[in-house]
Amino acid sequence: MRPARAKWPKKESISDPRAGAVRPPSTMSKEAQLSIAERDFILEALREDLRLDGRQHDDYRPLDISFGEEYGHVKLQLGKTHIIVRISAEVTKPREDRPFDGLFNINLELSAMGSPAWENGRTNDIEAYATNTLDRIIRHSNALDTESLCILKGVSCWAIRADVHIVDYDGNITDAACIAIMAGLQHFRRPDAVVRDGRVIVYGVEQRVPVALNITHKPLSVTFNTFNDSKHVIVDATLKEEQAAEGDLVIGINSAGDICYLSKYAGAPADAMAIVNKTNVAWEKVKEINAAVDKVLQADLAKRAKIGMADESRAENDRLIQIE
Amino acid sequence: MVGPIASLSQLNRADGSASYKCPATGYSILGAVNAPIELPARRDALKPEEATVEVFVKPGTTTAGVGERYAEGILRSALGKIVLGREKGFPRRGLVITLTIVGGENVERGDSYLTILPALLHAALLAMVSASVPLSMTFSATLLGVTKSGDIVRDPSPTAAKAAVSLHAFAFSSKNHLLLNESVGRFEFDTWELVRERALSICQGATTSTDGDVTMGEGTASASLNGFIRETVEDQIYSDYAYKLDSI
Repeated sequence: MRPARAKWPKKESISDPRAGAVRPPSTMSKEAQLSIAERDFILEALREDLRLDGRQHDDYRPLDISFGEEYGHVKLQLGKTHIIVRISAEVTKPREDRPFDGLFNINLELSAMGSPAWENGRTNDIEAYATNTLDRIIRHSNALDTESLCILKGVSCWAIRADVHIVDYDGNITDAACIAIMAGLQHFRRPDAVVRDGRVIVYGVEQRVPVALNITHKPLSVTFNTFNDSKHVIVDATLKEEQAAEGDLVIGINSAGDICYLSKYAGAPADAMAIVNKTNVAWEKVKEINAAVDKVLQADLAKRAKIGMADESRAENDRLIQIE
Repeated sequence: MVGPIASLSQLNRADGSASYKCPATGYSILGAVNAPIELPARRDALKPEEATVEVFVKPGTTTAGVGERYAEGILRSALGKIVLGREKGFPRRGLVITLTIVGGENVERGDSYLTILPALLHAALLAMVSASVPLSMTFSATLLGVTKSGDIVRDPSPTAAKAAVSLHAFAFSSKNHLLLNESVGRFEFDTWELVRERALSICQGATTSTDGDVTMGEGTASASLNGFIRETVEDQIYSDYAYKLDSI
């Protein structure tokens, strides 16, 4: 006989910063809870080194990346999690205290499209947490060199914006969004801008070849979930596995092995050795994923180069007036 | 002219979903419908005997603003008319329609939202069909622009729409009711009547007009937008019931 509910995550005993605070009853609809049988099944299977979809502990779900017609339009599918990222650029005034820096923002808004549990136009915990993680891994680690976005000191700079649309939610949105944003930043081309006699001239895509962004390094997040007193640690959990997990661990690491983010935000305490071991796993995973992204990226750029500007460079097209 | 491209039920989590791409205007919309869904108690006081229709338009590369709220209002009233909100299971529940603009240029702040309205309407309709929401009828919508020289252009591109003297968005139900009529710019009643007739022929593929040159070039009934909606749904049903067809 197996110990009934012995491995149920002990909500009260763990030092969950969110558990202690009394929160007002929310009217927000919730994700359907995992049944006890399902939870037990997942935990029991893990004890036998099995996962619901037959993956190994350190395996990602199949990753599928494709690009849209525009630059910086990424469609990413990680198992059943489906994300669309669009990168856009516009000219704005830099911040007063940072006249040499351009702006870069990551915008993630959950809508009812991703999951019926998310209400349109309302923020929830997942959104705040995912935005924070993405900000810390991509923005604060300076993956996009913001100084290269400066056009004229204190007067104008580029504002790069990454919009993340969670179209289908089946767990692990931080990793998926991180891969999609980094792929988008590498794929995106901004219009060329020059300063002439103190005036900023922005050339249209038809006039001058658009410029790639300056990426300093390629950090990605790797999310681990712990089960059974952190005896079992798995990567890229599905929604069901996330719900059954007792804690999570997010490692932000780049291809060179520099850790730029490590978070043990909530849940049961994790074994220190597990964190050390899993950092190595994360490094391997990031190298693998970055290589996969590179491959898709090169294929897409080669395809674009082939088509080239055939349509735009036709003689019968209207002559465009210079935009200033 | 390249017709629109659409497909149904691509998403796993939403109750119903559809993607719609209009090559002429370049807009690509992903629509998701959740219905019937529990709404927080504060909202059902308005009309307890009916379902509450909620529309949310999410632009691709900006945060939603006044323009989106305006478009949502138009969509809500147009779609609210064809939803059978009193069917079993629907009263006091919500019908949440989420439309994300995943491709094409953004509607700039202050620009007319009419250009994208037909694409949003089609995506919403197909998503509702995919979610099996009871509807009294289907519809199709189109955008027409009137140029300086008085020509009527179908589905003008964003640049053509900016140059147009007036823009008209029409939606006709499958029973030829005029469901939606939104116009911007300067125009006369005669122009509007011409545009309406043209729109009707685009949507219905009908040659009801006595003016021969208006209906020409639109082709047969299957080339009509209503026919397109019907075909898209038929294709989906055909693939959904493939297992039945195979066993016959």
